[in-house]
Amino acid sequence: MTEQQQMDLRRDEVEAGAQTGLASPSVDVTSGRQNSLWGDAWRDLRRNPLFWIGAVLGLSFLLMALVPQLFARGADPRDCDLSNSNQKPSAEHWFGFDQQGCDYLANVVHGARNSLIIGLLAVAVVLVLGVVVGAIAGFYGRWLDGLLSRLTDIFYALPLILGALVVLRSGILGRGVVAVAIALAAFGWMTAMRLVRSQVIAVKSSDYVAAARAMGASNRRILVRHILPNAVAPVLVYTTITIGVLIAAEATLTFLGVGLQRPAISWGLQIENGQSLLRTAPHLVLFPSLVLTLTVMAFIMMGDALRDALDPRQRA
Amino acid sequence: MTRPDPTTSVLTGSAGTPVLEVDDLHVEFRTRSGVVNAVNGISYSLAEGQTLAILGESGSGKSVSAQAIMGILDSPPAVITGGGILFEGRDLLTQSPEEQRKVRGPGISMIFQDALSSLNPVYSVGYQIGEMFRAHRGTSKRDAKKHAVELMDRVRIPGAASRVDDFPHQFSGGMRQRVMIAMAIALDPRVLIADEPTTALDVTVQAQVMDLLKDLQRDTGMGLVLITHDLGVVNEVADDVAVMYAGRIVERGTVDDVFGNPAHPYTEGLMNSVPQVEAKGGRLQPIVGQPPNLAAIPSGCPFHPRCARRRLGADAAPGRECATDVPPLRLVVPGREAACHYSEEVLGV
Repeated sequence: MTEQQQMDLRRDEVEAGAQTGLASPSVDVTSGRQNSLWGDAWRDLRRNPLFWIGAVLGLSFLLMALVPQLFARGADPRDCDLSNSNQKPSAEHWFGFDQQGCDYLANVVHGARNSLIIGLLAVAVVLVLGVVVGAIAGFYGRWLDGLLSRLTDIFYALPLILGALVVLRSGILGRGVVAVAIALAAFGWMTAMRLVRSQVIAVKSSDYVAAARAMGASNRRILVRHILPNAVAPVLVYTTITIGVLIAAEATLTFLGVGLQRPAISWGLQIENGQSLLRTAPHLVLFPSLVLTLTVMAFIMMGDALRDALDPRQRA
Repeated sequence: MTRPDPTTSVLTGSAGTPVLEVDDLHVEFRTRSGVVNAVNGISYSLAEGQTLAILGESGSGKSVSAQAIMGILDSPPAVITGGGILFEGRDLLTQSPEEQRKVRGPGISMIFQDALSSLNPVYSVGYQIGEMFRAHRGTSKRDAKKHAVELMDRVRIPGAASRVDDFPHQFSGGMRQRVMIAMAIALDPRVLIADEPTTALDVTVQAQVMDLLKDLQRDTGMGLVLITHDLGVVNEVADDVAVMYAGRIVERGTVDDVFGNPAHPYTEGLMNSVPQVEAKGGRLQPIVGQPPNLAAIPSGCPFHPRCARRRLGADAAPGRECATDVPPLRLVVPGREAACHYSEEVLGV
């Protein structure tokens, strides 16, 4: 029981006491502002080292994407000298040089931008599609739910990479950053939809929704104001983790040759390029793989921490 | 179904024109295992300033009838199969959902049994009270909050201004119910339906909440429908009482009359089952048997399998056989209606 509740209880007792003629001690009702669900979650998050590792990594990669010059140690990724081809890492050039003799650190650092843009853009589309379709299916139910759920099942039947591969190879969208993001989102929104749908169905039957209806709230108001805010927490956790998964998927597509194309700078392209030289110049695969793994991990760790923080059963 | 002539009804005489009338309302639940008849033709009317208690055990249809009025039946499986719900003379059931929505909140409002689960956990109480103004009147956020503080003061929440931004889980049970009441009375409704408003509260807080409701009713002149199974609460606050059994009203009249001298064997059974201080140490007198299965309501009088006064076969008067003839709700003595073939006998007149 919180302090405020105890105070209420005392107050209730005082009123009862006044009525029954019992002693009524004075009660000082102070304004003890307390935390909401998100406030509690934030308090939990702050204490979670997993969250801090993820957040620091994620922020560094974000900074890397915004101002790569800060991290590239003065080197230009396009300024190449073939005489440096495949040179090993050194004190001067921490990540060495690639086959074309370009500074590899600069290249890897500049790769962050595309990866993050694709990850965030794709996840935004996933979130919008998942929330809209899931909320409509869960709220209105009946035949509309049946239709949308079967549609989701059809998309589920297509693996993410295969679906995106087919779309990108068809050439309808081109091969740019936006095209890759849309292709990934188009085959990655289904889990978010299912999460939202099941949450909406669970929240829909709660008493406060009936109360809102009884007080004359419209369908739209009930859905947007009362149901969705109570239904989004698991979806936010899911999408945080999904950013990492989608960044990895982008690298996979690019590695397979259907994602981004040169002259774009991308970790997937760097890994693909380096794999044939794995024996002579292993650093060409090692460094982009390392940052890719760290980026994916950063988002998954933040998602995990967020899930723990939002789950009241995990709370001590 | 015989419906009492409104002019002879005990429930409209005293306090003026009816603001809410329920007319031969039928609700059934269509489930996979059959049709459950939850409400089987109930009629009542409520005048301004009047408190009508609807008394009944679990499954008697008292809450379902309230949900039908508020338009919050779970549908499917629930279906309103007949009757009318008249608010200020207009039948809600024939109106469009949009028109109904405009009545619910400003016209008829409701408070629920469990205030914690009836409040949205993600919004502050001030926001939720203020929502009534924003949703129905388009009030600005700031003004809505000001109204919310006034309302919280009115329902006697201490330190309203400092607690307006608190969340439902930070309030105690009694305070939460006050928040719920503040929401319900925000737009000065003419009818307030209270569905077991004190069942989840402990006894001292119960009394405060009922006092608050009575005071608010006196100030605003709203009609109050109090749905409860608590005989004590009915006795304290209600003017009239309608006793429900198996989805029907079996007896109604003023609280003093009905409690003082029941005209239906079921009411009689309820009164006998109340623990008496004088009979301390003695055994309680329960009503034998189980409440009826609403999917298979007994023929004739639904209460006859449990009734101590039933008359079957040759014992019964012609047309008044308890297991075959359905007793209509009829005027037994002035100001009293009961649905029993032998009410006069029960009354002892």
